[in-house]
Amino acid sequence: MTEHQARKLASLTTPLLLIALLTAFVLLIDAFGDRSLGRMAAETLIRVTLVVGFWIFAGNSGVISFGHAAFACVGAYVSAWMTLKPAMKSLLLPGLPDWVAQAEWHVLPAAVVAGVMAALLALATGAAILRLSGIAASIATFAFLAMVNTIWANWTPVTGGTSSVVGLARYVTPWVGLGWASVAIVVAAIYGASASGLALRATREDEVAASASGIDRYRHRLAAFTVSAFFCGVGGALMGHLIGVINPDGFYLSLTFLMLAMLVVGGIGSLSGAVVGVLVVSIAVEGLVRLEKGVTLGATQFALPAGSQEILIGLAMIFVLIFRSAGLLAGRDLILPAAWVAGRAKTTK
Amino acid sequence: MSKLGIFDLSVRYGKLTAVNNISFTVAEGERVFISGPNGAGKSSLLAAIAGEVRAAHGRIEMDGDILSGRVPEAIARRGLSMVPEGRRIFRALSVQENLMVGVGLRRDKTAVPDDLEAIYAAFPILGTRRHANAGALSGGQQQMLAIGRALMTNPKLMLVDEPSLGLAPRVVDEVYDRLCSLQAQRGLTLVIVEQSSARAGRVGGRMLLLRGGQIVADGDAASFAADDLLKEAYFGKAAP
Repeated sequence: MTEHQARKLASLTTPLLLIALLTAFVLLIDAFGDRSLGRMAAETLIRVTLVVGFWIFAGNSGVISFGHAAFACVGAYVSAWMTLKPAMKSLLLPGLPDWVAQAEWHVLPAAVVAGVMAALLALATGAAILRLSGIAASIATFAFLAMVNTIWANWTPVTGGTSSVVGLARYVTPWVGLGWASVAIVVAAIYGASASGLALRATREDEVAASASGIDRYRHRLAAFTVSAFFCGVGGALMGHLIGVINPDGFYLSLTFLMLAMLVVGGIGSLSGAVVGVLVVSIAVEGLVRLEKGVTLGATQFALPAGSQEILIGLAMIFVLIFRSAGLLAGRDLILPAAWVAGRAKTTK
Repeated sequence: MSKLGIFDLSVRYGKLTAVNNISFTVAEGERVFISGPNGAGKSSLLAAIAGEVRAAHGRIEMDGDILSGRVPEAIARRGLSMVPEGRRIFRALSVQENLMVGVGLRRDKTAVPDDLEAIYAAFPILGTRRHANAGALSGGQQQMLAIGRALMTNPKLMLVDEPSLGLAPRVVDEVYDRLCSLQAQRGLTLVIVEQSSARAGRVGGRMLLLRGGQIVADGDAASFAADDLLKEAYFGKAAP
């Protein structure tokens, strides 16, 4: 095996390593954690799905999107529309068309359709937004987020407006989250290794040189935006089915900030950065929340003042930006050493 | 039929005219240097041919096809490749990824591995550093990578903007050596912007001398060096 082949093979180990890491995380919590930790694990894996989806676009194109929480919002509501009991829907959402009001789908096809609807919305809005370049595109995605939020908060007969939609089937366990997170990771790795992924990263590095190499920036951006929105739609659906309650404001600024923070902490330059960022931030938040509730050390009771969790996470983000501006992984991927992979391949022959 | 034809081409930035009514043709397999002082319109001319700036007036043809008015990626697809000024390599991508970027537009994908090896044969340093980040290469290596990247799209006509910019003279010699032997191997047509007309004379080929957006001389680069035309182009006519 040549060195080049060995390297190619080694790069395939990245998604496998990441999935193994997440599996270990779930197993650990399954073995030692309580119910609230189990919920935190499920939430973390949903966030992996969201942030890896987000990364497919933002990481490869270098365009920061503020609009991806809107795709999660659409996904969550589509799944609610398709799975809620018809009696519940006639009460909460009287404006739904008949065939939707009567639908009572299984949760899996509903999650897939949630992703597909988010992707279609991305295709339609991206066709306009992604013709803009640089910061203009980012600001347009923010406007899109605000529009979706406003529509959802006011389209009361169909979305329930600002009051929450309740009664979603709570089927999301850490294992369900792990399943979707794994699918997202595999698709992200395949897209990253594809010709379109490479072309998009070239536009991220230098737009002029990329177009001189024959790359149609708009087309590749739109492709990544659409795939990216699919996983954010699925992630939104899973969020709804984790808590059982959805509300337009649950998919607005704080989710946008959280997704960005996770990507920045882990490092936007690599898929592993996206996954590690979610894990690190989620675990840190959980630890701080517990400290806020208070811990007993021997005879002394100790508790952080309420709200210190948000402040400490903000501080941690600032420190990462100052001392490691490319994120914890700084654009590198978790990978098995090429020499090791080559050795393995030889011995198995 | 000529490979490249420029007819009455003008490029303007607002009120400023960078290229003023230029016409010339380039034959297949020819090597043409475009030389002249700063602000003569050399890079604007190249940018207009590659589609990066829109011509205010005039027509650009390649193999009788009209290029003017098309976007850069559409022009690249027709077999015209540009090595931009200042290299503009994709710094965070590996050397090999840089070379593979332009491959997406090719129809003959099966020839790609052979072409990649051919580039590595022409520029052995790129082969040994194929997995390194392109940003970690030296200036000369980056210039070779930019040339290799342009060649991977399998162009018939290649535009090279200031390949000697910021490089040591010895490295410039090497870059031109490689360019010339690649041209001979592939039957490429080359249009090169080169500030130093002395350099163009040593490498050899045809030279167009630009000044104030117009062609002031057109002829064999080697015979230019001795000619007064050059001084005139750079410093203006001596007072009688």
